[in-house]
Amino acid sequence: MLEAVDLTKKYDEVQALAGFSLTVAAGEICGLVGHNGAGKTTFVDMVSGLLRPDTGTVLVDGVPPHETRGAIGISPQHIALYRPLTVREHLELYGRLSGLRRKALKSEIEELATAMQLTGFLERRAGLLSGGQQRRTQAATALIHRPKLLLMDEPTAGADPETRQALLDVVKQRAGEGAAVVYTTHYLTELADLKASIAVASHGKVIARGSSAELLDGLPGEVRVRTTDHEYHRATTDPTAALLELLAESRGTVESVELRNPDLDDLYRSLAVSDVH
Amino acid sequence: MSIDTLRVPEPLIRAGALIKYNSLLRLRDPSQLISYLVAPMVFMVMFQPLYTKALSYGSIQAVTGQLMMFSVFAMSIVANSIFVEREWLTWDRLRASRAARAELLIGKALPVFVVLLIQQAVLIVFGWAVVGMPFPKSLWLLTFAMCVWGFALLGMGAMLATIVRSRGDLFVACDVGALLISSIGGAILPVDLMPSWAQAVTKFSPGTYGLSMLRSAVQGDFAGTWQPALICLAIGLVCGTVATFRLAHGWGRSHLV
Repeated sequence: MLEAVDLTKKYDEVQALAGFSLTVAAGEICGLVGHNGAGKTTFVDMVSGLLRPDTGTVLVDGVPPHETRGAIGISPQHIALYRPLTVREHLELYGRLSGLRRKALKSEIEELATAMQLTGFLERRAGLLSGGQQRRTQAATALIHRPKLLLMDEPTAGADPETRQALLDVVKQRAGEGAAVVYTTHYLTELADLKASIAVASHGKVIARGSSAELLDGLPGEVRVRTTDHEYHRATTDPTAALLELLAESRGTVESVELRNPDLDDLYRSLAVSDVH
Repeated sequence: MSIDTLRVPEPLIRAGALIKYNSLLRLRDPSQLISYLVAPMVFMVMFQPLYTKALSYGSIQAVTGQLMMFSVFAMSIVANSIFVEREWLTWDRLRASRAARAELLIGKALPVFVVLLIQQAVLIVFGWAVVGMPFPKSLWLLTFAMCVWGFALLGMGAMLATIVRSRGDLFVACDVGALLISSIGGAILPVDLMPSWAQAVTKFSPGTYGLSMLRSAVQGDFAGTWQPALICLAIGLVCGTVATFRLAHGWGRSHLV
C-alpha cells in the first residue's frame, strides 16, 4: 500500500531525510518511532503529498501521493481545526472534500461520532472543545472517508487516557478492515497495544524495522533485587545467572526480586544510542 | 431533486463545500464588516457639507472617498481570512485533501470577494439614498468598477496574509497600509486640492486609481473608468500571483512568530 524508497529532503543546511525507506502493507499498522527531528513528520508530509522529495520515490497504492489524495487520511501532529466551526461541520467539510455525499456522509458521521465518543459534542464549536475532544475531532476528520492509508502523526500527544483508548480502538478497527496505518508516537506502549510492526527512525532514515518480537530479541532485560540495605540491578540477557550473582553479592535480607523483560523503550534507547555513536 | 441524485461534477462539489464553510467562518465573525459599514456611513454624512462647498462633485467625493478608504480597511477581512489558515494550521490539511489548488483558491477567495462587493454596494446605496449622491448613470459600469476594485483588494489582502510573519505584522500592515493608501489616494483630502508635490506622490497609491475609477463609474464616465481599472487589475494580478504561489506551495519551514 505504501512504498517509500530512499527518500531525501534537505531544508537549507538541515538534512531532514537521508535515504528514508519504508514499506507498509494493507492491514498493517506500522509504528514509526524516533527522537525529535528524526524525520518522522517530514516523511508524513511527503506521503501526504505536501512535500516533494529531493530524490527517491514514494508510492501510495502504486501511484504518487498527489495523484491519490482521496486514499489518504491524515491526522497531523498539531491541532488544525477551524475554531468557529462545529465538530459536525468539520466532519461534513472533510467528508465532502473526500467525495462523500449526503446519506453516506451522515452515516459515517454517526458511526465515527459514536466510536470517537463525540456524539454529545457534534454541535459544539471546535474552539470550545477540550484538548482531548479536539484530538478526537481531528482524528475523526482523517477517518471520515475510510482511507486506504492512514497517517497518524503523534495523534495522542497530550491526550487523556479516554481519548487515547478511543483512538487506538478505531485505528485497530480500521487496520482490521484493510487500511495501512503509519502511526508516529513517543508512547511505545501504544504500539504494543496496537500490535504494530515497528520502524525506528534516526537522522533521516529508518535504522531498524520488524515486529516487536524480532526487534526485542537479544536485547537485555533487567533483574532487580531489593534488600533491607540496598537495591541491586543488572541488565542481562540471562536473568537466572544474573539473579544468582546479585543474590550472592547482596547484603541484608532480600525484600523483593523483579525480573523485567526488554520492552520497546529499551529497544528505542539502544538503537538511538547506537546510532548516535 | 437532492444534490445526491444530481450528477454534479466532483470539483464543483468540493469548491461548493469550501465556499459554504468559508462563508460560515465569515458569518460567525461579522464585527469587522459591520464596523467597516457603519463608520463610513457616519463619515459620509459628516463630510458631505464640507465636500459640497469645496468641490463641484462634493457628494460623490463624500461617498466614494469614504467607500474607498473603508474598503481598503476591509482588505484586512481578506487578509485575516487567509491568515487564520496559517495560524490554525488548517491550510496544509486542505492542501493534503482531494481538492485541487484551483478549488481551494476559489473556495477561499469567493466568499471574501462577495463580502467586499456587499460592503461597496451597501455604501453606494446609502450614499445615494442618504448623502445625496446622484444615482449612478450606468449600473453596469459601476458594478464593473466595484468588481475590479474588489479584485485589487483581494489580491493585496491575500498577498499580505501570505508574507507577514505574525498577527502583529498583519495588523500593522493592514491598518497603517489602509491609512496610507486611502489618504494618499485622496479619500480624505481630494487629490485636486493637494499641493503639487503631494499630487505627484498620489500616483504611487493604489487608492488613487481605485477612487478615480469608482468616481468616474458613478459619473458614467466610461473613458475615465477604464484607465485606472487597468492599473487596479494589474495590481490585483501581481499581488494575487504572489499570494497564489505562496498558498499553493505552502510555507515550508517558515513558521509564524
